[in-house]
Amino acid sequence: MWDQVRQSLDQSTVGVLSRLASLLPGFLALLVAVLFSVLLALLAAAVLRRILRAVRFDERLENWGLTGLAEYSPQHSPALLVTRVVAWSIVLSGVVLGLGAIEATVTSELTMRLFEYLPNVAISILVLIVGMIVARYLARTVLIESVNMNLHYARLLSLGVKWLVMVCTIAMALDHLEIGRGIVILAFGILFGGIVLALALAVGLGLGLGSKEVFRNSLERESSRIPADTEEPIRHI
Amino acid sequence: MAETGAQQIESVDAVIGLVPPPARDGHTVENTIARIMETPVPVKIALVHPPLSSNHIAAPIADGRWQLIASPLLTQDPSSLAQSLGDSFRATFEIAQKLNSRACAVVASDLSATTVDWVSLLLQPVLEEHFDLVTPCYARHPFEGMINRAIVYPLVRALYGQQIRNPMGPDFGVSSRLLQRFASAPRARLHTLPSLVAEAVTNAMPICQSHLGMRSYALPDVTNLSSLLVQILGPLFLDVERYAAHWQRARGSQPIREFGKPMYVEASETSMDVTRMLDSFQLGTKNLSEVWSIILPPSTLVELRKMARVTGPQFRIPDETWARVVYDFALAHRLRTISREQMLRALTPIYLGWVASYALELEHASAEAAEQRTERLCVVYEETKPYFVSRWRWPDRFNP
Repeated sequence: MWDQVRQSLDQSTVGVLSRLASLLPGFLALLVAVLFSVLLALLAAAVLRRILRAVRFDERLENWGLTGLAEYSPQHSPALLVTRVVAWSIVLSGVVLGLGAIEATVTSELTMRLFEYLPNVAISILVLIVGMIVARYLARTVLIESVNMNLHYARLLSLGVKWLVMVCTIAMALDHLEIGRGIVILAFGILFGGIVLALALAVGLGLGLGSKEVFRNSLERESSRIPADTEEPIRHI
Repeated sequence: MAETGAQQIESVDAVIGLVPPPARDGHTVENTIARIMETPVPVKIALVHPPLSSNHIAAPIADGRWQLIASPLLTQDPSSLAQSLGDSFRATFEIAQKLNSRACAVVASDLSATTVDWVSLLLQPVLEEHFDLVTPCYARHPFEGMINRAIVYPLVRALYGQQIRNPMGPDFGVSSRLLQRFASAPRARLHTLPSLVAEAVTNAMPICQSHLGMRSYALPDVTNLSSLLVQILGPLFLDVERYAAHWQRARGSQPIREFGKPMYVEASETSMDVTRMLDSFQLGTKNLSEVWSIILPPSTLVELRKMARVTGPQFRIPDETWARVVYDFALAHRLRTISREQMLRALTPIYLGWVASYALELEHASAEAAEQRTERLCVVYEETKPYFVSRWRWPDRFNP
């Protein structure tokens, strides 16, 4: 009986060792792929960092109004953020390649799905960038025009416009990434619907409950602030 | 639409373009034409006018000396004043060139006040004294034409070195030489009103100015002062960029020959209410600092913030600060640090602050005192020009 136990153990050990031995080249291939991708990533990062510094990438982004990106970047440098994203992408690609050497079936499916998802990621990033630029431009335009109209809540208006556009943009980006699709759309709809309903209720209830005087006084106050086409003694042209 | 009447005329000595203001009654143009044509003239003149109203009482009759040409392009659009005026000028210039005229005058002020003397003062220096450009000089009211008084006149004087009182007209007399120069330039390159003076100065063409007297005009929509600043300063700053090689060499300024008698109009005795303008300046300082910090150097921003803390009759913006602000905005227009339109609109609160300061200083002053005040401002612009030249040449390095 002990001979049979020893035989079973021997067989099982041989089986596991054989299995390990068959996987070993795959693991070595993974190691080589990861090492190679790390080296490539370091090289690419160094080259990209030089190029971005030469074209003054950080300053140009600031001029284009994308200062928000700097706030989320390491050392407040969007160039460094871009460099690190590229480097880690190369490393990730190396890992995926290496994984393919271990178990062909599972990793090839994983790779396929990853590459199918990449366009969605690219579009989402583009949507976010465009959204940030538009939000910044509109916010600044509203701010300047509101100040020129002598509206004292100019900054509030400007912030409101900026965040409206950003909320739209983020919802669109999440939709493209297929992250919590239903929830995001629902939340977005509730938020906008809620704001519109609140405004409608405020105006309707306010007028209905006899706050006409309040509204009239408020409008008169605002219109008296706005320069009217009066017979001013000063003429600009 | 083509002009009617131009095809039958071979050549004339002078062309006069009448560009009526936007809100005019139906017979203004006819009455103006009739008034101008009453006076006999020694030369052949073509009068270019907008199409007459269909229910006019009597059409003006052309005789041997006067020819009439109707052009639908001669109009002023209040929503884009500068653009429509520029198009009207170009239409008149094209007709003048077709007719081989030696001189061309364009009148864009209120036509009800236009007389033959007015037109004669625009044409005579060109025809008889061989000037290439005649700019207008209107009766000087201390509180009229503030954009010209605060920005356009001092800036053009400091940069181009000639004391041209109204560089942007809008009434001008132009020689055929300058017309040809204009015609040969690409259409998109030149904005007619500011570029007339710049082209003439940079090509060493003789310029003079004629005192035309009181100018009446329909007020445009002054609620949109920021749009007005964009329309006026946009083309002006584009020309500053275009002619940079010339104005960097000019030093000081020279007076130019004048025709006619200067006229002054005293301001009314009523007190100036500058509260809204001060509010606008303070609101701008509070809310637009982030935008201004992209355009103005830190030292100027600090000064503006200090001034915003002063209220009441003591409020003043020094001329040196104001001149530097204008120069910095001209530089920002070239560098496109932010959208050009946003940048020019952001100038509005600072401009209103300066106007308020000027109004408080000259509240009960005479017209002559106002002229002396303007002269002091122009001298400051000239003295501050080296600052502008340095910032223009080294925008990154020279940032006080």
